[in-house]
Amino acid sequence: MQDSLIIKRNSPLKKWSIWLPLLPFLIFAFLFEIVPVISVLLSSLRNDFFWLTLENYRRAITPLIMRSFSNTIRLSATTAAIGVVLGTLISHALVNTRNKHTHNSVMALADVATNFGGAPLAFAFIVTLGSTGVITLILKNLFNISLYPDFRIYSITGLTLAYLYFQIPLMILLIQPSILGLKSDWKEAASTLGASNWQYWKRIALPILTPSLIGGFLLLFAHSFGAYATAWTLTGPDINLVTIQIAALIRGEVQLEPGIADAMAIMSLLIMMLCVAGYQWASTRAAKWRS
Amino acid sequence: MKNISISRFLLIGFFLVYMIVPLLATVAFSFAVRWDRSILPEGLTFDWWIAVTTRRAFSSALKNTLLLSLATTGFSIVLMTPTAYWAYQRVPKAKPIIEVLTIMPFGIPGVVLALALIRTYARLGGALVYSPWMLVMACTVIGLPFFYRPLANALNATDIKVLTEAALTLGASWPRIIMKVIVPNIMPGILSGSLLVFSLVFVEFTLANLLTGGRFKTFPIYLVEYTRFDGRQASALAVISFIFAWIISLALIMLASRSGLRREEAIGGR
Repeated sequence: MQDSLIIKRNSPLKKWSIWLPLLPFLIFAFLFEIVPVISVLLSSLRNDFFWLTLENYRRAITPLIMRSFSNTIRLSATTAAIGVVLGTLISHALVNTRNKHTHNSVMALADVATNFGGAPLAFAFIVTLGSTGVITLILKNLFNISLYPDFRIYSITGLTLAYLYFQIPLMILLIQPSILGLKSDWKEAASTLGASNWQYWKRIALPILTPSLIGGFLLLFAHSFGAYATAWTLTGPDINLVTIQIAALIRGEVQLEPGIADAMAIMSLLIMMLCVAGYQWASTRAAKWRS
Repeated sequence: MKNISISRFLLIGFFLVYMIVPLLATVAFSFAVRWDRSILPEGLTFDWWIAVTTRRAFSSALKNTLLLSLATTGFSIVLMTPTAYWAYQRVPKAKPIIEVLTIMPFGIPGVVLALALIRTYARLGGALVYSPWMLVMACTVIGLPFFYRPLANALNATDIKVLTEAALTLGASWPRIIMKVIVPNIMPGILSGSLLVFSLVFVEFTLANLLTGGRFKTFPIYLVEYTRFDGRQASALAVISFIFAWIISLALIMLASRSGLRREEAIGGR
């Protein structure tokens, strides 16, 4: 109460001075988030002749770059879709398991698995499913099944398997609160009114879960779109993904023009930001049912 | 009913196999004498572990990574805790701004952040943009969502306004209020944010590789180099990294169950 009186007497200078303690963070965010993003944006809109031009974007439309976007989008959409479906089913199975111990330990495992990232994970997949991987050898020697050369872990298919290792547990963690939020009253009410299990899912449970499912898909999509370390460790520079292309350019391994890299960076930034904003929106919607 | 429980069992079983087999394979591989033609390894040995951990490069990479993780965590605490407290205490209008700025890094791929920092700061000259200091700043940026969310949750869960006013009425000084009243109350949030940032930076490869690279080799860079020329030694390094992730995750789970706060998911760093 007293504070607000003081503020009124000394406004407007005093009113702004309460923002002062926030300055260090705001300056930090300005220097290391805002300015860098804007400077890439500006340099993507500039070339040797003009200050404001879409020339870099036009020139980015080459088969190589378009392929890198379509590869990345396909990889992200596939792993996100499989992650959403399996993650939701497993999470539902876990919630309905009577054994509390199983539930807790599998959740702990999902927790840990989301923390396994990048290089070590990719390498674990090489050890498991590489050309002389453990599973590859077992299949070959015990069952006489040769995975290679039809399957290669050092490919987009291999990357899909490796990405699922963190996508599925991530989805389990994301969807768990919403599945727990499905109240048993709703199911009882539905069956009292004569609804079948299928009808309950179609008419009640799925519509309630939809925002969480969409949000989960978007977050998983963004997550795999921006991934670099796993892909780089597993496949090296040969695979054509957006992040791999931009990184090769930073290290000066490829003679692409800088302006084109900036255009690629801005396009992927746009896709990622849309996903994250969509996720934020969906999770506010999803939270509505949990109270 | 029987069918449902069988499919449940199969689903959970599939998940467990998928999660555990690559880990077990890596552990076994790191102890194998030779394992590229038979079903089982041709003997077991500690040689790869000894070879990879006794190199000078190993201890320097581990030291660099620990330094980087500690510096980033420390900087995040110092930067974000007062900011979040002040926003919750006095400037609620700032909360949405801080929220947007701390969520934004989720939408910036690591390679794009590296490119953006290089485009902005390389022109200042010197090796500033390729220095470990810039790496600390970059890691702090990608850690923002992980640090701020648990902190904000902890601030939401405690009525800091009332606590602060009560302490002021009793004549406590500001430093005393912060250290003795506020910090202990939001400690679970600070701790879980710190653990998340620490573990994120410990495995961070993209920014380190593109910004400092060979000038400041971190543990993940060392690991990736080994995957290119010695699989067994690389798998020993991968096991170290997995053990580390287990320890941090278990600490986080324990912290969450003890403080009753929601466990935050760690996402990113891939």
